[in-house]
Amino acid sequence: MNQVYLFTRKLLVMLIGIGVSFQVASQNITVTGKITSADDGSGVPGANILEKGTTNGAITDVDGNFSINVPGDATLVVSFIGFIAREVPVNGRSYIDVVLQTDIQELAEVVVIGYGQVEAKDATGAINSIKEKDFNRGVISSPEQLIQGRTAGVQITNSSGEPGGGVNIRIRGTSSVRSGNNPLFVVDGVPLSGDDTSASGSNASFGNSSARNPLNFINPNDIASIDILKDASATAIYGSRGANGVVIITTKSGKAGQGKLDYAYNLGVATISEKYDLLDANEFLDAYAGFNGQQAADDINGGAATDWQDEIFRTGITHSHNVSYGGGDEKGDFRFSLSYFDQEGIVERSGLQRVSGRFNGTRKFVNDRLKISTQFTVADTDDENVPITDNSGFRGDLLGAALKMNPTLPVRNPDGTFVQPSLTETNPIAMLEFSKSFTSTLRALGNVSAEFEIIKGLSFKTVVGFDRSFSSRKDAYSRDLKAEGIEDQGRLFVGDIEINNQLWENYFTYNTTLGNDIELDALAGYSYQSFEFEASNFEFTNFRTSDLNLMINNFASAAVEDSNGELQQTVVGTNSESREDELQSFFGRVNLSVQDKYLFTATLRADGSTRFGSGNRYGYFPSFAFKWRLGEENFLPAAFSDLSLRLGYGITGNQEIPHNLFQERQRYADWDINENGDIEGGGLETVAFPNPDLKWESTSQINIGVDFAFLDSRLSGSLDLYRKNTNDLLIQLNSAQPAVQQFFWTNLDADVINRGIELSLNGVIKDQGKLRWDVLANIAYNDNEVQNFDKLINTGDIDGQGLTGAFSQRIAEGQPLFAYFLRDFAGYDESGISIYSQGDIQNFTGDSPLPTVNAGLTNNFSYGNFDLSVFFSGQFGHSVYSNTANAFFTAGSLANGRNVTRDVVGNGESPLNTPDVSTRFLEKGDFIRLQNVSLGYNVPLQSEFISSLRFFIAGQNLFVITDYSGQDPEVNVNKAIDDVPSFGIDYTTYPRARTFTFGANMSF
Amino acid sequence: MNNKTLIDKLLLLVWGIFIYSGCTDLEVEERDSIVLDGSGGFIAGNPTELLSAAYNDLGALANQTNVYALYTHTSDEMIPPTRGVDWGDNGVWRTLHAHTWDFTHAYVLGAWNELNERAFKANQILASNPSTQQAAEAKFLRAFYTFQVMDLFGQVPFREVDEGVEVDPRVFTRQQAFEFVLKDLTEALPDLPDLGPAAQNPRASKAAANTLLARLYLNKAVYTAENAGEPGGFVFEQEDMTRVVEFADAVAASGFSLEDNYFTNFTTEASSEIIFTSPAGSGENRWQMTLHYSQNPSGWNGFTTLAEFYDKFEANDQRIGQGPGTTDYVFDSNDFPDDTEDDDDDGNTEEGKPFNGIGRGFLIGQQYNDDGTEAVDSRTTRLLQFTRDVPLSGAATEKGIRAIKYHPRTSGQYILMRYADVLLMKAEAVMRGGTSGETALDVVNQLRAVRGASALNSIDEATLLDERGRELYWEGIRRTDQIRFGTYTNTWSEKTAQEPFRTLFPIPQQAIDSNPNLVQNPGY
Repeated sequence: MNQVYLFTRKLLVMLIGIGVSFQVASQNITVTGKITSADDGSGVPGANILEKGTTNGAITDVDGNFSINVPGDATLVVSFIGFIAREVPVNGRSYIDVVLQTDIQELAEVVVIGYGQVEAKDATGAINSIKEKDFNRGVISSPEQLIQGRTAGVQITNSSGEPGGGVNIRIRGTSSVRSGNNPLFVVDGVPLSGDDTSASGSNASFGNSSARNPLNFINPNDIASIDILKDASATAIYGSRGANGVVIITTKSGKAGQGKLDYAYNLGVATISEKYDLLDANEFLDAYAGFNGQQAADDINGGAATDWQDEIFRTGITHSHNVSYGGGDEKGDFRFSLSYFDQEGIVERSGLQRVSGRFNGTRKFVNDRLKISTQFTVADTDDENVPITDNSGFRGDLLGAALKMNPTLPVRNPDGTFVQPSLTETNPIAMLEFSKSFTSTLRALGNVSAEFEIIKGLSFKTVVGFDRSFSSRKDAYSRDLKAEGIEDQGRLFVGDIEINNQLWENYFTYNTTLGNDIELDALAGYSYQSFEFEASNFEFTNFRTSDLNLMINNFASAAVEDSNGELQQTVVGTNSESREDELQSFFGRVNLSVQDKYLFTATLRADGSTRFGSGNRYGYFPSFAFKWRLGEENFLPAAFSDLSLRLGYGITGNQEIPHNLFQERQRYADWDINENGDIEGGGLETVAFPNPDLKWESTSQINIGVDFAFLDSRLSGSLDLYRKNTNDLLIQLNSAQPAVQQFFWTNLDADVINRGIELSLNGVIKDQGKLRWDVLANIAYNDNEVQNFDKLINTGDIDGQGLTGAFSQRIAEGQPLFAYFLRDFAGYDESGISIYSQGDIQNFTGDSPLPTVNAGLTNNFSYGNFDLSVFFSGQFGHSVYSNTANAFFTAGSLANGRNVTRDVVGNGESPLNTPDVSTRFLEKGDFIRLQNVSLGYNVPLQSEFISSLRFFIAGQNLFVITDYSGQDPEVNVNKAIDDVPSFGIDYTTYPRARTFTFGANMSF
Repeated sequence: MNNKTLIDKLLLLVWGIFIYSGCTDLEVEERDSIVLDGSGGFIAGNPTELLSAAYNDLGALANQTNVYALYTHTSDEMIPPTRGVDWGDNGVWRTLHAHTWDFTHAYVLGAWNELNERAFKANQILASNPSTQQAAEAKFLRAFYTFQVMDLFGQVPFREVDEGVEVDPRVFTRQQAFEFVLKDLTEALPDLPDLGPAAQNPRASKAAANTLLARLYLNKAVYTAENAGEPGGFVFEQEDMTRVVEFADAVAASGFSLEDNYFTNFTTEASSEIIFTSPAGSGENRWQMTLHYSQNPSGWNGFTTLAEFYDKFEANDQRIGQGPGTTDYVFDSNDFPDDTEDDDDDGNTEEGKPFNGIGRGFLIGQQYNDDGTEAVDSRTTRLLQFTRDVPLSGAATEKGIRAIKYHPRTSGQYILMRYADVLLMKAEAVMRGGTSGETALDVVNQLRAVRGASALNSIDEATLLDERGRELYWEGIRRTDQIRFGTYTNTWSEKTAQEPFRTLFPIPQQAIDSNPNLVQNPGY
């Protein structure tokens, strides 16, 4: 750990060096004056004043004033980023005011593409760029949440409402049959690996919980823009990692001008948006007596009336502070930021705290021919975890326990101890009180680059990047907790993960004009990236203490006397691992613009990866795109402000499979302490049935798009049609027995097809005086189908009592991925037993968990200093399977003395009925959500200290219109089987909150 | 300083670094695993370690799922009722009992993978320079697993140790598999140790091989039949039956005999019947899968036997049960001694030793707590009384007669082969024409006398099958017996299907997908 701190410190010292080397030059003959902006008459700080034909110059001060010594007949060249430069003859004057006009051209919207950026009008691919002004507001813990719902064809699903919980992003549908469907994230030019940076949770008999979102380390407040590359012509420059789209995150840099200090504070208040409608104590007793008789009901009556949901939920308060200081001039810029984020989850004891710092700086040297840049961030994230898991059995996890717990039981006995009825009915509050779980992750990401202009138009850039992370997770359960495998033993799990990824990229860019009409942009480069991953896990039991702190911090307390009366430590080193993968790439791109009307792009990337055997290491990923800017043609009717046609095709890849599956390797298997305290495992096992012929999964995509603008650009938008075909599917299949290993990985010659259409519209409804009303709308349709697939693969594991081996989804020919495969429920017979209209067998029901339509609608209003933004999002055409209802809300569960939702009573089900996986628990998932409303006020100021002040109030997840009976239809718990992922299954999901945020932003 | 020279130098330096370290060969070092690749083909392991691991793997057979489930729930000795929210398990149990399973059944796949994978591991031992005895043990284990694949599926895939994923394993027909098993056992027999009765017999021995050979020949008519699916009508060759007798006599010659107390066989105590055991399998699942949750130990309240199976027993047959909660049990306070010596190590001495309330054999009627009080179903608050009747679905918690062979207080190993089975195989072989100095009736009555049952006057197929049921219930052999006797396609309680093709399980769908040499069994 020390190493990192030292390294970080050294780097910071170096970077600060770059940032502070700003200087002002001076001479003897003096002209003074003020440079102001034509927009608002304010002074322009940091503007450049140069004596024409010399290197003699000056820079304006904070208020736009300058002073320069020049000959009386000199001409001053006044320039500043974002303004049109002006030449002003001195003519002997000693005082000169200069008004600068804003340069519209300069501010033209740019989109970030791989290894560069282009003006939006020149982008040939399907790219969405979302700037800070369009980000979601409120309590935002990770970058994806900033753009949730804002772009067509990008489905962002929080796995749950847990602070910092996992996020699924699907760009233009799901194209792979295994994990690794998330897009590639590129932060300031550094592509991130898809690995988890923190350990997933082991929670003894309560099940396993997924790792937190690895992107939590990025402070959303530091982000300037997020660009989403959707089609293959855009993503192919990232080759083997481009198949699921690419999300490029660009962080804020200092703005030219005087140093500006910004401070922002947010206070968020979150409450549960929807609880389950459970029976209260009296209703529960009545219903129970109905099944088991009054005597039995009297026996289980604990005499209290406890709402167990209320007991575990709370109002979660979030504080966030952001301070940044930035500035710049023509030679460079810099920005420091520091942030503190403290989010309480709406479940007691859950939360996320993050302290992060960032430095971004750029400086030009050698007549501006050499540009040194850096972006560097380090974040310390602390997650407080609660035992909410993906796969708890009939005993339930924290939420399962709260849902099923007998409501007549009090939380505590009169003597203050917890009521703990049995090993299977664990008191959820005791579960919280007798457990402690947290993850600490320190992650640093940064890069330093040098770009040198060799001759005019030809530049060379070298980038060194690193991504280093240390994470440690502890899950402790005290022996005082009455739960299987925990009571009288105590359990502690320790999981550490370390990652060390390095990047070195070198590339040339060349820009020239051929003749009058042709502009050429070319890129050629080499990239090397290494990914190191290390993990170790330990498990302890038989604690001599029930003090959670002592258990964690003095784990020698885990010991038991053996039959000789000697103390033996009770720990297993579960296992450790360490692996490295490398990716070596050569890439190139040519952009050709003819008469500014016809734009051509061709890219090629060759990726070599250690994930594959020597015969198949390299994959080649080409793309082509053409754009015709009809807006530049004379024949276009005047109603059009702009019109462009785009056509693109490309091939991208996917290599997200486990490490080295091409060689036969053996490892000693994990040790485990089972529920009875017996130690198992440790045998020497073959890692995988090796397949030396493994190769890249490839996705070809064709995209046709139109960008348009009418009525003086008051209505603009784009329409895209695409077809993605993924084949050579990387997949884990059953080995042909007899075999060394039950599974092996292979490339399956089958196709996953995603077809879709996306429409984005931006309209200015009103722009009159102080009032402005903008509408931004997006809608996308995607159709997913598996073709030429001659296997049947089950997934969508369903857990709960009597549900061992149950599954709900099947991947098969002609179906969408993860299609529901269920019994067809048709009510109950006269004795209360389920009737299945197709018999007691599972069938495809025609339902899919994948939404066919995603939509978002934003209305932005501004009036004077007020602004209001109202954002709805929705998903349609999919179904959600409620494993929660299947496991807990049945007559049999009630008859066993567990609480259920009100609808179970009197629904005709016999307590002896077996609630098999069926359409009974499948519901339509369509929803419309008022996702974000924010109202802001910019305080008009005439202050010397504060240059701007803004207050806002924002609401997140204000309401959801849906027929889904669970907590929230936007849900995705990891219910994978044999590592084949599932989608759209709800199981004791950490509930989603409704959040109100009050915030203030100020600049000094 | 001259900028240009500086820049030139810088550029040169950058280029130098670029060219010098520009490319990697993409070979990374493996730090957390042993790479066996390199010389191509199979790399031998340590035969002692591999053999030890292979014996350890036998423990999986003690699980109530997969192989065991296929052998028991499909027969007339066991029923897996669903009980409210319990035991639905996606139909995996009830389809076995009702004979409505298909080729996606989880335990069909589980058994296929479990058995074939273990057979392959035995192959690896044989390819790892084993000693003569180790080779014999490995051949025995390979035969043991291959036998079961042949018996359950009728086809056996085979892969050489050096064949990779690109090779589709070749497939033996049932006849070929029979020859393969026979060859392995015949070759192994001379080099296996001649072990007699012991408290544990966790290694292959001559007696174990002879037992398996007896079973192989006894069922030869089934395995070599033209149409495996047709019940009855199997032609048992006199010569084969005589061989069964010879193998059985060879087991006896190794010192095995009947144990006086039937239930001693399922403990860790020495028994004269125990031929082959797995210490890795504890027998715990056997009581968990049947005991009620309100008993101690608290079980999973699952499987029961069927009334018509239970009715095959005479009341004085010691195999029907002994102790609290068994047939016609009369309360006796001596059955409930106090825990004066803290047997459960809980730091307290209390009324009743742990597991006092659990009898051995069939549990029927009122059940008891450790202290001798009558057990109550904690959910319904009614007395816990196991009933004769039991439906396949929607059973109340107390429905069905439970069976305990492995008692929680005394179990510790899982029995894979025991002498009573061998003796009954001998009787059957004699009945089917095998030559022996004893008659089938003599042999059966010899067993019945030890078990306290009355002597039979005559013997026929039905009585012999019943006797095998009475002796070997819930030991995982019933399906093979019923197929050989032609009763597997009869109907019984909650089983109406009479499809002859079900005498073979389907090849699991994943196996068909992964190996084109496999052809689905008829009917599926």
